[in-house]
Amino acid sequence: MIEITLVVNGDRRSLRVEARRLLADVLREEFDLAGVHIGCAQGSCGCCTVHVDGVPRLSCLTFAVQCDGKSVRTVEDIGGPAAEHALQQAFRRAHALQCGYCTPGFIMTLAPFVEAMATENRLPDENEIRDAMSGNICRCTGYQGIVEAVRQAIAERIGTGAPA
Amino acid sequence: MRPAPFAYHRATSLEHALALLAEHGEDGRPLAGGQSLVAMMNLRLARPRHLVDINDLPLEGIEQVGDVIRIGALVRHERYLRDDLVARYFPVIREGVACIGHPTIRRNGTTGGSLSHADPSAELPLLARLHDATIVAASLRGTRRIASADFFRGAYETALEPGEMLTHVEFTLPNSRPFGAFLEMSERRGDFAIAAVAVVMEEEAGTIRKIAIACSGASQIPIRAPGLEAALAGQSVTALAVAGSAIDAFTATLAPPGDIVATSDHRRRLIAALLARALASAGERTREGR
Amino acid sequence: MTTAADRPRHVGARVERIEDTRLLSGGARYIDDIRLARMLHLRFVRAEMAHARILGIDIGALGDLQHPTRVFTGADIGGLAIKAHQDVPEFQYSEQPLLARDRVRFVGEPVAAVLADDPYIAEDAAELVFVDYDPLEVVASMEAALDPASPPLFDGWNGNVFVERQMKGGDIERARAAAAHIIRRTYSTHRQAGVPMEGRGVVARYDPADRFLTVWSSTQIPHLVRTYIAEELGFPEQRLRVVAPDVGGGFGVKGQVFSEEVLVAWLALETGRPVKWIEDRREHLLASIHARDHRHTLEAYVAADGRILGLKADISVDVGAYSTFPFTAAGDPGMAAKVMPGPYDFQHYEATFRALATNKCPIGTYRGVGRPSAVFAQERLMDDIADELGIDPIELRLRNVVRVFPYTNALGFTYDPGSYAECLEKARELLADDIAEAASLRGHPERRVGVGIACFIEQSAHGTPDFTRRRVPIETGYIAARVAMTPDGGAVVDIGLQSHGQGHETVMAQVAADALGIAPGDVHVRHGDTLTTPYSVGTWGSRGGPLGGGAVHVAASEIAEKLRAIAAHLLQASEREITLGGGRAFVTAAPDRHIPIARLTRAALRNVDRLPKGMAPGLEAQCSLDGPRDGTYSNAVHAAVVEIELATAKMRLKRFIAVEDCGRILNPLVVDGQVRGGIVQGIGSAMFEQFVYDEECQPRTVTFADYLLPLAPEIPTIEVHHIETPTPLTPLGAKGLGEGGAIGPAAAIANAVADALEVPVSSTPLNADALWRLINR
Repeated sequence: MIEITLVVNGDRRSLRVEARRLLADVLREEFDLAGVHIGCAQGSCGCCTVHVDGVPRLSCLTFAVQCDGKSVRTVEDIGGPAAEHALQQAFRRAHALQCGYCTPGFIMTLAPFVEAMATENRLPDENEIRDAMSGNICRCTGYQGIVEAVRQAIAERIGTGAPA
Repeated sequence: MRPAPFAYHRATSLEHALALLAEHGEDGRPLAGGQSLVAMMNLRLARPRHLVDINDLPLEGIEQVGDVIRIGALVRHERYLRDDLVARYFPVIREGVACIGHPTIRRNGTTGGSLSHADPSAELPLLARLHDATIVAASLRGTRRIASADFFRGAYETALEPGEMLTHVEFTLPNSRPFGAFLEMSERRGDFAIAAVAVVMEEEAGTIRKIAIACSGASQIPIRAPGLEAALAGQSVTALAVAGSAIDAFTATLAPPGDIVATSDHRRRLIAALLARALASAGERTREGR
Repeated sequence: MTTAADRPRHVGARVERIEDTRLLSGGARYIDDIRLARMLHLRFVRAEMAHARILGIDIGALGDLQHPTRVFTGADIGGLAIKAHQDVPEFQYSEQPLLARDRVRFVGEPVAAVLADDPYIAEDAAELVFVDYDPLEVVASMEAALDPASPPLFDGWNGNVFVERQMKGGDIERARAAAAHIIRRTYSTHRQAGVPMEGRGVVARYDPADRFLTVWSSTQIPHLVRTYIAEELGFPEQRLRVVAPDVGGGFGVKGQVFSEEVLVAWLALETGRPVKWIEDRREHLLASIHARDHRHTLEAYVAADGRILGLKADISVDVGAYSTFPFTAAGDPGMAAKVMPGPYDFQHYEATFRALATNKCPIGTYRGVGRPSAVFAQERLMDDIADELGIDPIELRLRNVVRVFPYTNALGFTYDPGSYAECLEKARELLADDIAEAASLRGHPERRVGVGIACFIEQSAHGTPDFTRRRVPIETGYIAARVAMTPDGGAVVDIGLQSHGQGHETVMAQVAADALGIAPGDVHVRHGDTLTTPYSVGTWGSRGGPLGGGAVHVAASEIAEKLRAIAAHLLQASEREITLGGGRAFVTAAPDRHIPIARLTRAALRNVDRLPKGMAPGLEAQCSLDGPRDGTYSNAVHAAVVEIELATAKMRLKRFIAVEDCGRILNPLVVDGQVRGGIVQGIGSAMFEQFVYDEECQPRTVTFADYLLPLAPEIPTIEVHHIETPTPLTPLGAKGLGEGGAIGPAAAIANAVADALEVPVSSTPLNADALWRLINR
């Protein structure tokens, strides 16, 4: 067992974990963050994506001990219980989710993409949006609603940030 | 699908990491991005008893050292796409790295991890082989410089010895602005390639001064096409578009592996088709200066 | 029932989904999120050989683990099994023991159950269980299953055919005699898995104080799971609760009763502790259910003008090692035989269909069930006929589709009104430029473009008679809903469906809200829990909208009638004059004479002295809605435009169009989502997904690195067009649509490839390897 300190969604906590425990399992069990989902446990589906020090990372390919002293963010912290992040709202409008299992992974992968495009003040084309989500598998929607939600969220950010 | 138990060590310096790897020998593995290793551990296809986490080591630089650029083992794939040195001197590397996996893998996967893992269809090993890169490996016994031609030994097999760790890869700077192309064919964008080819060349007044051609999918390791290179070196750039018979001569010698994804013959002919296109594209880019 | 004054306001509108907030915020709770005190974690030891006798199971090494574990094997579970038998004499009986007893029949079959108080340790422990196998000859293919020399998979069996039967109507010999052309072809679709993003999982807890057993399962059919467990374990069903929590996709895969569900319940009773099993991705691909492993030989009897006179079909399905519950090994072949006449008008049909046993994972229900394979064969055949007769493929279909409704086909199934010809015409109009481009690139040395269509119908929401005919273990397809209003003017809908992405919490709220005159946000829809919902068959067979929505509508309308009576009494008007809407009851001709619905509900439930004399208190109604005898028939045309690079065999899906008719649309947002999602699964079936076994039935594609699902970059925008032909057979005019999207793509894409390359395409997948072979044949 190794003692580590994690800052998860802003809360700093020290805990003792076995070296082999995946970050995904520790977030789910020790921090009760059920929004972290495991879809394949081999890095192919993106369901378990969280942010480690601001960078999207697959929590099924990360050991919790590697994150000692780091800051971790999960979908629970992105837009709160009402899911108020611009991207979450766009997901609702565009019907970008059905069963919801892959959804937190898509949100955590794509929220930084939306931010990056907003910073560049650029509305990417459809291919670029699809590439941005190429590491996430959605089995329900056929991706179209997700593409539309990302487009809407970026358009909205650009619209508010810099009028066209 | 959870890993077997192991001991975790967080290396605080290269010396520390090398001491840990020396201590644990065959049982020890460096952990960098973990994008391949941890997936294999979850499937219990890999069971290192000791993991040496090297993420805190200062191996994250891309720097020019004399006539080479030296890339640290911890340089993430995505970094290549934003680096000026790479953009200026190694356009084919940039093009190839863009084909690796997907954004999250590119953000977290590392140079050292990809080269050490030596997946037969991975992009970085192919790019290293194309550019005759030098692999720098360190152990308590000292530093070894291994030519890429000697580094890849087989599928998932390299010249690295127990206790040894890849620290850098070095690419020799070109004498003049290089042109080239990287092409791969996969079922889905981001998948490991069924076959991939890469071409890099320098020209002088419309003449091919220097050319390197490599492919993956032909063998368990990336290979060069020396005969094809020799046939084209010194020729006019326009020869690139009509290299069909030279390509055929090269691919006729290949006996690629066949599997459920593609037959041996499919891979051989695919390599020929991709080479024809890559050479033509390199030629076009040279003439157009892009 | 509703009156003309009831103007729907929410049904038919793009209402955003009520469930989304929970799912988007991390607030959903799936099976793996259930954590109970003292819970044991189950890990299976699964068969590593496809066919072998078990000589012994050694657990001696577990002592080295330093953690308490318990192991159960086939010897511990008596006769407990999955028994799925079609009640016809031709069907050979078999059982799937919950844990293999003396013999394993496919790689991945559960052999031992290992329990530990931590899932990592359970996985360590399972690795230490050593199973000694004596290999048996493997039955690896349809040919081997039909070979009398192959060993039977079950003792006492004659050969390896689960069942072979026939369906026929008309006089096939007459059609043959009258035919100007006889066209015979064989088509096959390959084996694949279903792959919801959340795998399966089961948690069970027994509470001795109440003698109450609770089973949580990631299932689409909680009531059927409850009954099966109760019957198999001999446990009183009234003390058994099955809960499907949030379910991360199902697509039919989670529509069978699995051995793991029964076993986990039994283990909770046996150990006295809660037990949890979470399927990992490898287990899911290996050993949940597979689908689509069909081979069809069709012989069409065609008149000189292209009119089909009759069709003869021979249908084989490699259904793997066991029969699945409730639709049995006959489910897929029977469905293919039943639907093969499709949207076309001919009265002579004969099908022989058989289910073949091999040492592979069992075939179960996956979105479309038999129909994607049947439509692949049928629609490839239409193109092959068109090619042979030199008729344009769309024109050939227009000459053959049913145009007059209701229509009774050769097997006696009656189709409700649809828009088969209209969908074809619309597709032709949308494809004009692509057809021209394809023609202009014929013979092009580098690249080709092809256009392909698939025209099909989807029987959905079929009722009891359809299941009785099939003689499967469940002989019904009804959905029940109970609607109860609360004193504050809201309503609770308890429905026997289980929503795992279909948006039932929203759509059922829309339906109830319109009937009751309140807002969808004031309706709370509960589903997936046998404790709160009335007995029903669950969510499968595209019955959520037509039957679930219909049942809610009927029940809510009954309450609405009572609300109107109360309002009439309080407003001193006649009942016929009252309209419910906007949270109020008002006199239709004088809307300022109104009363809030909350006052009516309060009167009915709390201040009952305000009710009309003699009226009983309460505002609750229930409706169990069976499907129409032959179901409703949605129809669609799918069209694919592909571009193929000859040198590399790279295929790009340029366009995918669906023109579909699912009757009345309840929520366009949800309908489009279902259609698109289904289509992309169908594209996956055609181009990417493939479950491969080698000659020894060892699986080769057990991770997502080998089993390829469609990803966003490969998928084009799916263009969806609707034609709305309401059915008279369901209360809201809705037909089923959940499966339709997945049915057409393989056929449309194959037809497009055949068009582009001008070669016959007789099988799937159409991946790089297959394209290469077609180009270089």
